[in-house]
Amino acid sequence: MYQGTKNRIAWLVLLTAPLTGALVVLISVLYGVKDMPVSTIWDAIFHYDAQNVDHTILLTARLPRALAALLVGAFLAIAGTIMQGITRNYLASPSIMGVNDGSALVITMCMVLAPGLSDHMMIIYSMAGSALGAGIVFGFASLLKNGMAPVQLAIIGTVIGTFLSGIAAAFASYYQVSQHISIWYNARMDGVDVHMLKLAVPIGLVGLVLAMSVSKSVTVMALGEEVAAGLGQKTVYIKLISMLSVVCLTGTAVALVGKIAFVGLVVPHITRFLIGVDYRLLIPCAAVIGGIFLCLSDVISRFINAPFETPIGVVTAFIGVPFFLYLIWRKGGKQYAA
Amino acid sequence: MQLKIGSKLMLSGLVITVLLLISIYLHLTSGSYAMSLGEIFRTLFGWSDDRKLELVIFQFRLPRIIVGALVGAGLGIAGAVMQGITRNGLADPGILGINAGAGTAIVIYIFFFQGMIQSESIGGWLAVLMMPIFGFVGGLLVALLIFAFSWRQGTLDMQRLILTGIALGTGFGALSLYISLKMNANDFEMATVWTTGSIYNANWIYIYAMLPWVIILSAILYRKSYLLNYFQLSDDSVRSLGIRNEREKVVLLLASIGLVSACVSVSGGIAFVGLIAPHISRRLVGNDYRYNMPISALAGMVLLVFSDYIAKTVFAPAELAVGIVVSIIGVPYFLFLLARANRGG
Repeated sequence: MYQGTKNRIAWLVLLTAPLTGALVVLISVLYGVKDMPVSTIWDAIFHYDAQNVDHTILLTARLPRALAALLVGAFLAIAGTIMQGITRNYLASPSIMGVNDGSALVITMCMVLAPGLSDHMMIIYSMAGSALGAGIVFGFASLLKNGMAPVQLAIIGTVIGTFLSGIAAAFASYYQVSQHISIWYNARMDGVDVHMLKLAVPIGLVGLVLAMSVSKSVTVMALGEEVAAGLGQKTVYIKLISMLSVVCLTGTAVALVGKIAFVGLVVPHITRFLIGVDYRLLIPCAAVIGGIFLCLSDVISRFINAPFETPIGVVTAFIGVPFFLYLIWRKGGKQYAA
Repeated sequence: MQLKIGSKLMLSGLVITVLLLISIYLHLTSGSYAMSLGEIFRTLFGWSDDRKLELVIFQFRLPRIIVGALVGAGLGIAGAVMQGITRNGLADPGILGINAGAGTAIVIYIFFFQGMIQSESIGGWLAVLMMPIFGFVGGLLVALLIFAFSWRQGTLDMQRLILTGIALGTGFGALSLYISLKMNANDFEMATVWTTGSIYNANWIYIYAMLPWVIILSAILYRKSYLLNYFQLSDDSVRSLGIRNEREKVVLLLASIGLVSACVSVSGGIAFVGLIAPHISRRLVGNDYRYNMPISALAGMVLLVFSDYIAKTVFAPAELAVGIVVSIIGVPYFLFLLARANRGG
């Protein structure tokens, strides 16, 4: 495909985003244990009746859940896109690089050591956990001669992730809060906190703005660090801003719904295939596609084992693992050349 | 001081056996029902008529220790074989996803024969005894997939091998989770036990189910252990020695997958034992697999029995899954090995 066509696809994705977003939210809201007619939704939004059970379900359970899926999908997709760009590593993503696990560990510790923490603090701690996870993984990888090579980094990230979640699990069973905490490991979308959802929007915007502010530079970085430095890019500064954005977005996502794997890995690849390598367009488009992807995965998770819900991570793994294998098989140990 | 390999073997064997006895002693005596060494001996030899002690030891603690020791030995041997065949010190049945594949097959099996397994009849016994065979099918499937994905231009790409294993492990883990939630949607904790590995519900039937496999397959692998020494040479050299290279590798691999499946059918997927045990053993008795393999089995036993002791006591009365303890110990060691392998080139 020519870049012109790709640009046109990008604008198409972006301009129709409100429409497609609304559509998947509608699907998510309509189908569940109790199917709702469209007219009920209309009534619930415009003539809300606190006595009507259907209205209450819609506004306190279904709608927040759909919106949370949309937001978290977008967050993780943006985080994955930036990570793949600055590390030039086609396997980089929040779940593989231990960022998710760091967040989940710190949240577990918070719930154990300081129960009743406010939502603000929870999100901040979760971000600190993201930074911790990313710090350990990248710190260790940079000590090794070949540590930043895609496959090597992925191995280090996965193994450290296992370690962090092992500690989290030990913590949870020590204080016997396992039942409550398992939501954070396996990310079940029921029971999204509306207040936290409201907080997540502005923080997500900050993350997006940070990401967009370096998007042009990330496009150059993806060509190679030497090239970027030669073109006058301040690579350290760009990496710092990018990591800040990743930490913001992943931390908020984990605080909202828990660890969800593979979204941050798969969506950037799909988007890059459709749109090309201009990160100014890639980042927003990945956000749109990620949101839609996760929202639909959430709908599927309610149906594959109806009437019970399946953890959404199972659904994303079913889609993500074959894709992951395909990537390894196609690309092997080479660095990703944008 | 240079020791001959024979005395080295004796010495390390002795040290590890002592460690094993200490772990078993700790495991037997500690718990919510405390007992002394004298009481344990009297009960073990049937001199005591304390019914309570008998119940605790023979129905709870002893099966658990035996299962732990068998699983540890099995995984230790299988890990040594896999590291030998792939010539990769980072190979481990857990990391390669064999555990997860076997686990999924067993969960599927339980899904279909759930009623039979829970019954106390002969049929229930048979159903439990069949579990390792199903696990074998799953483990084999994963092994084939891994080789299909990491085979490039006639050789195995080692890094790709490990990463494919991790990916397949995640995928099959998700599949097991899905199926076990389909069985019993409310019992989420039980479902996750399969993916982390635990032996707290060990009983004698499990031991009977896995014991023949562990004995037969360990014997086969031990008899063939000298081959692993040749496999450290290049493929051409091995062939010129008159060894049917590919065929022997397949036999070794099948036997070790069988061993892993027998372990997984009882304990769920416990990672990192198969990684660490062979390395400890290599430090102690060197690279000769004829000595390395038995010491590796012993080291695996110690590792698992001791980890299970920690899992049982640190957070008592809450229990940790032994797989979690092993991975907390195992990951730093894995990273250390990775760092050292990299420095070496």
